Amino acid sequence: MTDRVEGVAKNEATAMVQRGINRRDFLKLAGAGLAGASLLGVAGCGGGGGQGGNGGPVEVTFATTPDPTGTFQKLIDQFNKENEGKIEVKYQQAPPDSSQFFDQLRTEFQAGSARINVFEGDVTWPAQFAAPGYVADLSDRFTQEERQKFLEGPVQSNIYEGAPFGVPWRTDAGFLYYRKDLLDEAGLEPPKTWDELKQTAQAVQQSAGTKFGYVFQGADYEGGVVNGLEYIWNAGGDVLDPSDPNKVVIDNPGAVDGLSIERSMVEDGIAPKAVSTFKEDESTAAFLNGDSVFLRNWPYVYAQAADPEASKVKQEQIGIAPLPSVSGEESASGLGGWNLMLNAASEDPVQDASYELIKFMTAPERQRTLAIEGSYLPILQELYDDQEVVDAVPVIALGKEAIQNTKPRPVSPYYSDMSLRMAEQFNASLDGETPPEQAVATLQEALTEIVKQGQA
Amino acid sequence: MTTTPTRKKRGTLRAEFGSPERRTAYYMILPALLIILIVAFYPIGYSIYLSFFKATIGNTGNFVGLQNYADMLTNSNFRTGLSNTIIFTVVSVFFEFVIGLAIALAINRAFRGRGLVRAAILVPWAFPTVISAVMWRLMFQDQIGIIQYVASALGVVSEPILADPTLLLLGAILVDVWKTTPFMALLLLAGLQTIPGDVYEAARVDGASVVQRFFRITLPLLKPAILVALLFRTLDAFRIYDLFWVMSSRELESLSTFVYKAVRVSQLNFSVGNAAAVFIFVTAFLIAMFFIKVLGMQTSTEE
Repeated sequence: MTDRVEGVAKNEATAMVQRGINRRDFLKLAGAGLAGASLLGVAGCGGGGGQGGNGGPVEVTFATTPDPTGTFQKLIDQFNKENEGKIEVKYQQAPPDSSQFFDQLRTEFQAGSARINVFEGDVTWPAQFAAPGYVADLSDRFTQEERQKFLEGPVQSNIYEGAPFGVPWRTDAGFLYYRKDLLDEAGLEPPKTWDELKQTAQAVQQSAGTKFGYVFQGADYEGGVVNGLEYIWNAGGDVLDPSDPNKVVIDNPGAVDGLSIERSMVEDGIAPKAVSTFKEDESTAAFLNGDSVFLRNWPYVYAQAADPEASKVKQEQIGIAPLPSVSGEESASGLGGWNLMLNAASEDPVQDASYELIKFMTAPERQRTLAIEGSYLPILQELYDDQEVVDAVPVIALGKEAIQNTKPRPVSPYYSDMSLRMAEQFNASLDGETPPEQAVATLQEALTEIVKQGQA
Repeated sequence: MTTTPTRKKRGTLRAEFGSPERRTAYYMILPALLIILIVAFYPIGYSIYLSFFKATIGNTGNFVGLQNYADMLTNSNFRTGLSNTIIFTVVSVFFEFVIGLAIALAINRAFRGRGLVRAAILVPWAFPTVISAVMWRLMFQDQIGIIQYVASALGVVSEPILADPTLLLLGAILVDVWKTTPFMALLLLAGLQTIPGDVYEAARVDGASVVQRFFRITLPLLKPAILVALLFRTLDAFRIYDLFWVMSSRELESLSTFVYKAVRVSQLNFSVGNAAAVFIFVTAFLIAMFFIKVLGMQTSTEE
């Protein structure tokens, strides 16, 4: 149909050149052009994720946030080679800012677009995309048995109403970094409880003259939410009832304790007041500058310490431990990382081909490549005992315990809304503007309202 | 579209459309009007329409009347945003005006290197706001920030500037004054240059003092330029978004950041955010009307 309209336009145009253009003809031409363009537009919307027609390879578009190491592209090339003539994966780079990527995907999915067939999504996305039906239910493909091979936390982040909507493919966890050299000098062990952390920090601050005891991420943003949640979890609190995700339980003594401990870091002079404005970069800078005894951050910091331009502290001076808790028993780290998800709007052969890609990317061999060449933390249990991997990426051995004990943030289709409110209240509590009791009471009400609104 | 003032109201319609010549004129501007209608009025109208529904990003939802506006007014973040925006607008525009006028008066005189000075004062204004916001954030920052360092050393502040909402707002006002005073000065300078020199000469001959000349000649003759400059800056400040968002790293709420969070980040507050967007539009419109009707701003150069 598009062809016909364009044909008309073309004939008209030729005729006009012959007899000179007058205004009426010009308008006609313009009209035909417009009609053609709009038809093209419509065709463009529906035609994404083509099936390749008869015999040709099935085309799959795969989107991820930028990969500076080039490992993704390498694996895609390998996949395309192995599946030559059957599946052709096109790689699409998404914006580096994950919330921008989320926004872009949400807009496309809402319009029913199948332009992107497989994509990597943050661990907080599955429920948000699953509830409106944007991503495919993987119950039949990502079976219980399959899931056993994966780390538990990352798998949990994909479960919405009992069904998996994504497959983990690289993970992240909150670590407690400490200055091994300074602790050794003072003859101290890495702390297991928050009280021990405070004592150790104070002792080292006095003996070594370090400016701060402990730095973490306390700003009003997503990272502040993860930090606040870790304090709450490791004091025995939680946000949503684990057995009923529609029940908000944040107004509990554990949560109050958690936020009180976070606030006490500032009150006791362990953390600087400005910690409530710190994101990853500020806290890392303080630690790598040698200004802090302890740091809570993601695994990537360890690699940064290898670069003398970026760090005054050397890798040998740094130790990694799981985060402390109140009781000193096993603690939970906030889960970060990325899952692979399938666009539910893709058609059948594309859907299957897309899952082939997911299977390929999460297979042990590729997970090993991702770890060794890209320093991405693998999501398969077995690789944490793989000597080659552990040797190539020391942070895996150092942070093993934390990586294996992660906890996803509340799984909810309205996580973005919850996150905004938690970020604001956790930050106000850390700043001392709002007492912890009041912050959790406010959140209890606000989150209940969000759950209720979501069900309406 | 000039109409003779003597024509009576009755019969206007016929007079306008009666003569074939005028009709042709209307036909000719019809496409332009349609484009304006589609491009400018349709989105505004649609936003207003949507603000009466419990809309989400995906669908229109049920008609809820003024509920979204009620929710908006009871929302504590909206209220913080509103009060921040009002304080920011009034204070920053006031200082920009006073300092801008002083600068304009100073560089209105002929002196050596005047061209260079005029270009130089525009530098802060020429920076993209996002860049200057990041730059100032670094200067306010706790570990490496020069302003924080100096202010703490002098004992002016004891808190980290970026952690205190009041100091943050003051900081934002300071940055805005730094950034847009040059723009104000430029607009006022343009106004000053339209005042003929012989008026001053006559006043001087009559024995008017410097102060008298300023209040009796400069200010009244500069009024049109002042109003334009104030209106521009007021509306700009009222819609402040980028400076707040980047400099405070989203902690400082303005009306626009509230709208952004509600319609882009949140999934449930879309309709409230939309209502707030309409609120900003209507308020900005009323501010403009106030300038034109009450303060007598001229909207065109015609008499």
